[in-house]
Amino acid sequence: MDKFKNKFIEEATDNIKDLEDSLLLIENDISNKDLIEKIFRSMHSLKGGGAMFGFSHLSDFTHNLENLYHLIREGKKTINRRILDVTLASIDHMKVLLTVDNVSDKSIKLRHGDLIQQVLDIIEGTNDIGIDSGNKENLNQQNSIKSYYIYFEPEQDVFKDGTNPLFLIDELHTIGTCKAFAHLNKVPEYHKYDVTNCYTYWEIIISTEEDVNSISDVFIFIEDQCKLEINEIADFDIFTSTIIIEQISALSQERNDVGVSNIQEIIKRNSIFDNNLEEIEKAIARSGPLPSVKENVISSIRVSSSKLDQLMNLVSELVTTQARLTLFAEKSGDSELLSISENIQKLSRQLRDNAFDIVLIPIETMLTRFQRLVRDLSKELNKNVIFVAEGADTELDKTIIESLTDPLLHILRNCIDHGIESPETRKKLNKPEQGTIILKAFYSGANVHIQIHDDGAGIDINKIKEKAVQKGLIQNDTILNKKEILDIVFLPGFSTVENVTGVSGRGVGMDVVKRKLAEIRGEVELDTEINVGTTLTIKLPLTLSIIDGLLVKIDNKRYVLPLSVVDKIFVTEHQNVVNKYNNLIILDGDQIPFYYLREEFDLPEGTQESEQVVVVAYEDRKVGLVVDEVEGEYQAVLKTLGKIYKKQEMISGATILGDGTVALVLDTNKIINKFSQVNLNIKNKEI
Amino acid sequence: MSKIILIVDDSESIREVVSFTLENEGYKVLVGVDGKDALKFLDGRLIDLIITDLHMPEMDGIELIRNVRTMDTYKHIPILFLTTESQASKKMEAKEAGATGWIIKPFVPAKLIAALKKVLR
Repeated sequence: MDKFKNKFIEEATDNIKDLEDSLLLIENDISNKDLIEKIFRSMHSLKGGGAMFGFSHLSDFTHNLENLYHLIREGKKTINRRILDVTLASIDHMKVLLTVDNVSDKSIKLRHGDLIQQVLDIIEGTNDIGIDSGNKENLNQQNSIKSYYIYFEPEQDVFKDGTNPLFLIDELHTIGTCKAFAHLNKVPEYHKYDVTNCYTYWEIIISTEEDVNSISDVFIFIEDQCKLEINEIADFDIFTSTIIIEQISALSQERNDVGVSNIQEIIKRNSIFDNNLEEIEKAIARSGPLPSVKENVISSIRVSSSKLDQLMNLVSELVTTQARLTLFAEKSGDSELLSISENIQKLSRQLRDNAFDIVLIPIETMLTRFQRLVRDLSKELNKNVIFVAEGADTELDKTIIESLTDPLLHILRNCIDHGIESPETRKKLNKPEQGTIILKAFYSGANVHIQIHDDGAGIDINKIKEKAVQKGLIQNDTILNKKEILDIVFLPGFSTVENVTGVSGRGVGMDVVKRKLAEIRGEVELDTEINVGTTLTIKLPLTLSIIDGLLVKIDNKRYVLPLSVVDKIFVTEHQNVVNKYNNLIILDGDQIPFYYLREEFDLPEGTQESEQVVVVAYEDRKVGLVVDEVEGEYQAVLKTLGKIYKKQEMISGATILGDGTVALVLDTNKIINKFSQVNLNIKNKEI
Repeated sequence: MSKIILIVDDSESIREVVSFTLENEGYKVLVGVDGKDALKFLDGRLIDLIITDLHMPEMDGIELIRNVRTMDTYKHIPILFLTTESQASKKMEAKEAGATGWIIKPFVPAKLIAALKKVLR
């Protein structure tokens, strides 16, 4: 029901907007029949929808307005200033009614009554009585909500006449707050079961302003084909008391029939305490614990995110301090101290993992915004687009999700604006008229991948290249492969679309997307095929603040490599890695390209006899990084390098070691990427 | 997809009012002038609801309802009939023939939609 409700709110917002537009137009053309018709229609759907989805105030309110415009449509009234003023004020009020479920706020209530009165005054100004006179009564009854118990058992062959009992229960929802308990205990055993029969019966509690007659009216078509019992159980809205509802729900699960007397008992027990929580708890204790209360264990709590940030900070500090303790214990050689420090190391690791788990939230949380964006934008651009999300339960660090939303929104805007074609074009291309955007999230090692795929026009590589040459981003004769060309899209100052639209051309290019993602150590990759679609892949680290690292030493300085990319570590002789022409080394029978980090870092050649090769994963290959010495595993608390070093790309951060010195955390992907390019350039020059 | 409703009535004005109201609500409407005429639509195509008058030349509403209830495809679809309050006996007859519910004439659009919402989503 909530889903429909949200949909209704969206539709109603559109309707109200239409209404507003039409009204502003009609001001200059008061006899325009089409416009009056349009206004009437918008009101009608607001009224109908409002009643269906439980916005009874909105519905009642619109009902009066609709009557007024009915008279106008019939020519019995003409639009004047006063009518327009009141209608426009009413529209503002309708917007408010959409956002609040019940009109409890005093100022809203006053305005509500005032506007209704104004509309009625205008209507009564005519001699015509072509409207139903029930509205005023409704108004007077507004505060007299009563609660009823309904027992509804349709005859087994009820389906045969085309009746669907569920629709009737839906209808009950439109006349008040309602909760239905379906009982299945009369469903026979499998071999006696006839699928064309209805075996279910219902107990329903409803709080409504309507009387018993309107409730039994719901069942009017089948009143002789069902057992129906309607009892008043309370002279107030029992849905205001969650305790009563919870207890009734619990009871209905426990037994097949709750029965009117039990419900009355529950209401009686709870209402005498005037919702005072403390007293209710006492009462429950006195009357023996109810099963529902006993089972009601709190399974989750809400914590403010600032507290979580604080927790993460504290864990980071703890991990840093623990590293110091470990170092000190090792130095002292005290075996007791060593064992304590080992224990603390273990505990802090567990604490770290646990704390991480807490701040992970599923990406589902941001999907609603995307869905709304796709819906609105596609409408705005007259395109037909459906948004599908896969792997919505994939979890990411809270801070990552926060910084991910904006880039993703931008990417989606691009997909809809430039990717998906108009329905006409798609038809011509033999594609389904409805374009699809798929957001797919999945784990891959220590990373989370998020893919956004659209089945739109794709990107013309040659066009990118042309543009890049035009803008002086590359030379005319530069030879680039597809991936390298697509990477140009992410360069600052690049945009292939000539006529910038209001949608995606907001002065924010893909370069900003890339930069934003880089801030959370994310990487982005593009793949496309003309007329088939475009896929954008974002690779993200699971978490930002603490990583498992491998501590290595190069020229007496320490560096950290992320352990997640490390495959194997080999010891090799010095001459194997220096002065080699092709920088290949044979390890485990495989040829592996390697980089001698001393050389790449412009450090003097090492003097020791043997060195260590850390084999890391790079894209889908393996690459060796030669370091002086591997010291061991290390939990690195990542700290940013600060503004001054923002532009450097090879280092993802720094960490404080146990002895207080700073070690740089190397981003192996970027390092290898950079070195391979540098070498290529040198070779090109040599040739 | 919008639901498809078959309207059967010999009065053109009723047909028009009902079609207008339903189309306004977003339903697709098929129109038959009497029971016999309506049968030509019941050729296996998808129909979600039938609204029929009771008094009609050629084949009346009750006979139409009985007919529909024998067809495999349409056996279980909801059927509403149009009636005036004075015809209580007719009401029972139609109900026994297998009608799902009724709409009382004269009706306002809201009433029609309300009755329809009882049997169709």
